[in-house]
Amino acid sequence: MKVTIDGIEIEVETGKTILEAAREAGIDIPTLCYSEAFGGQGVCRMCMVEVKTGNRKRFVASCTYPITGEIEVQTKTPELEEIRRNIITLLYRRAPNSDLMKKLYQDYSCSEVKGVDPEESCIMCRLCVKACEKVGANAISTVLRGTEKRVSTPFDEESPECIGCSACADTCPTGAIRVVEEGGRREIWHKSFEMLRCEKCGGYYSTLPVREHVTEQLELDYADDSLCPNCRRKKLAKEVAEVR
Amino acid sequence: MIMAVNSQQIADRQAMEKIINRYPPERRFILAIMQDLQKHLNYLPKEALKMTADHVNAPMTVIFSMATFYKAFSLVPKGRVVLKACDGTACHIKGSNVLIDEIYSCLGIKPGETTADGDFSLETVNCLGACALAPVLVANGKVYPKVTPAALRKIINEYRGQDNDSNTSE
Ligand code: SF4
Ligand code: FES
Repeated sequence: MKVTIDGIEIEVETGKTILEAAREAGIDIPTLCYSEAFGGQGVCRMCMVEVKTGNRKRFVASCTYPITGEIEVQTKTPELEEIRRNIITLLYRRAPNSDLMKKLYQDYSCSEVKGVDPEESCIMCRLCVKACEKVGANAISTVLRGTEKRVSTPFDEESPECIGCSACADTCPTGAIRVVEEGGRREIWHKSFEMLRCEKCGGYYSTLPVREHVTEQLELDYADDSLCPNCRRKKLAKEVAEVR
Repeated sequence: MIMAVNSQQIADRQAMEKIINRYPPERRFILAIMQDLQKHLNYLPKEALKMTADHVNAPMTVIFSMATFYKAFSLVPKGRVVLKACDGTACHIKGSNVLIDEIYSCLGIKPGETTADGDFSLETVNCLGACALAPVLVANGKVYPKVTPAALRKIINEYRGQDNDSNTSE
């Protein structure tokens, strides 16, 4: 199927999202809640583009809009810039402590606003929740609604589901999730975990429940090998080299 | 799972189980189950949320997220008498804020709060569709039209100290 994005004609498969098609063609559309690993969420609306079919023109979230017909897409019009500037202004107001938002707020020369809570970094993109779901832990979700909405564990308590993998914090674009690693323990979401030590380099790299979880999920027998990702890579490389 | 330790807890658990088991174990019944539990227990205890999660085989996060999203649910016990002050446009103009202030001076509770003795809860609602009767107050399902501060005091006294458990919510 043929679509035009910013005047460039592209051949795409039906069902592909506008965002994917654009990125494949090297056209950048800004996003906040999109991750290749989780697909489009349609949460942040940063990826809005203008879609023209016949004489009809409308704005859609490109990360969730599947291409099903011949359309003409614009990704950088003044109207879109204005939409994005508004989104950034609002998110900056919510999360003034986030470096990412500080940068975007400047880049887009947004009008002046004062942050609501100077300590807040979270922009409610839900990437952490997605990561937790994907890991299969389901320890965090969004709670409450409206201006009170935030990410947390049920009852703001230590969750029996949490395995301390910190996938949420690793995915978070704003560094809003607090992880403390100290004395061989990792603390996250009101819960403290004993960390695993790499048998080769001695560095801490994960938690005990993570290893159990991975073993269970992949039906692997992992038990005799506790290496950090770095040492594991080296070991693999060495094995490959020896085979050759 | 926490073990029920006394007969009251066992009875509560059985009551919750009975409500939950009325529904097929599917996720699409989560809301209906919680509405039913809220209606019978006047709030959603932690135990009830856990049992719902187990019943429909959904993570606790899903249940908790929904339970905190909808205003119809409460995670703390609501009062024996639930006062709903309409704060829709018409009632607002007709002075619902005066009523809300008056309730505060009588009972010491703001919207969303419950008195320490568990007698009264206050909620605000956004239009009951009875704008001609503004300002409207609903106490345990009974509608009071054109409420003045003096009338409000009378209504509160009517319900105060009255011990029947006639909780006809909604
Ligand atoms: S904590 Fe981070 S990943 Fe999670 S919603 Fe907030 S900004 Fe997004
Ligand atoms: S990236 Fe599309 S809505 Fe967030």
